[in-house]
Amino acid sequence: MRLLITLALLLPALSMSEAAAAEDMTLTVKPVLCITDNLTPSCDMSFLVVWQSALTGYYCLFTDFDDAPVHCWNEERTGRLSDERTVRKNFSYWMTDQDQISRLAVATVEVLRMDSDDRRRKRRTRHVWDLN
Amino acid sequence: MLRQLTWLALLLIPFLAAPCLADEEAEDAKESRWRLGAALGYGIRSNPLVQSDDIPIVVDLDIAWFGERFFFDNGDLGLTFADNNTFTASVVARINSDRVFFGNTDTRFVDFDLAGLPLVAAVDFKPPDRDYAIELGVEVLTDGDWGALQFNAFHDVSGTHEGFELYADYSYGWRAQRLYIEPSFGASFKSADLNNYYWGVTPEEAGLVAFPYEADAGVNWHVRLMFGYQLSRHWAFSLVAEYERLNDEATASPIIEEQKVLGYFTGFAYRF
Repeated sequence: MRLLITLALLLPALSMSEAAAAEDMTLTVKPVLCITDNLTPSCDMSFLVVWQSALTGYYCLFTDFDDAPVHCWNEERTGRLSDERTVRKNFSYWMTDQDQISRLAVATVEVLRMDSDDRRRKRRTRHVWDLN
Repeated sequence: MLRQLTWLALLLIPFLAAPCLADEEAEDAKESRWRLGAALGYGIRSNPLVQSDDIPIVVDLDIAWFGERFFFDNGDLGLTFADNNTFTASVVARINSDRVFFGNTDTRFVDFDLAGLPLVAAVDFKPPDRDYAIELGVEVLTDGDWGALQFNAFHDVSGTHEGFELYADYSYGWRAQRLYIEPSFGASFKSADLNNYYWGVTPEEAGLVAFPYEADAGVNWHVRLMFGYQLSRHWAFSLVAEYERLNDEATASPIIEEQKVLGYFTGFAYRF
């Protein structure tokens, strides 16, 4: 009976600490913007991923490119990683805890295409000023 | 009659375009047909006219829509009739840009005559006014790894100057991720009618301080350098500088005091 009461008291505390971990996890990625054009249709970049959590634990880093984690850290509360990638479209990095399901923090890298297949978008107009 | 028919054609373009626009909107959801933006900053464009003020530039709006055939680009209205791997050709209607200088002129009292001799009494003098001209023409765009070329041939269809202009511009852009640099240069041939309407001085307009002048055809040259730095998906920092050398026939006019037109703008641009 005493054991059940102890468990009943501990369970909310455990779930609270998970929630706290989710709230206190920060994930930063640099750079977060990659620019492509007709001459360079993809970005070959090195992304610096830095995470920090309020709680020490087992954490994994995932991306949209793979079901398997990029890297996992055991008994850590901070981590950093340099990730080399060739990208053509927006994608995200995210951190999970041991369950590898719930996303504790997410960072998105945007791919911005500057050129268009439509030549008319680059035409020069003769106005007072023209920034096109 | 020809003038009335041209006006009618220009007025009908939006209505003729309407059914096509509806079809085109459903086709391509990837790239928006709209290009909307605004740049805030500071710049000027010098005014070559006598007794005139430079044109300040604080806001630059960019409003454009590109359909499969029809497009609207900041006041220019176009109908594309050829588009392939090599070039894009369109019929374009636009408003002539030479008129812009005549909007920033001043009346001043002058107390010397054409020979520089003092007058008995000061007389007021203001550069003569000029109208906007609506021009219709053909535009050809082509590009590749070597850069981009633009050719235009425009003729007045509003009966304002009744002349024509041939324009060519070459540009090459370098990009290093967020940084973009694009130099360009070109020339425009202005026919005698066009040149004379804007830069000539009729006997009625001439007086004690400006002699009658008839301008012949001439070629303007321009160079331009654009520097851009993309700050985020929507924001960019831009710096643009442009030099235009007016043709000798225009420069010889008594209402012109500078052969060059200098312009620059620096500011932050937001693209929706």
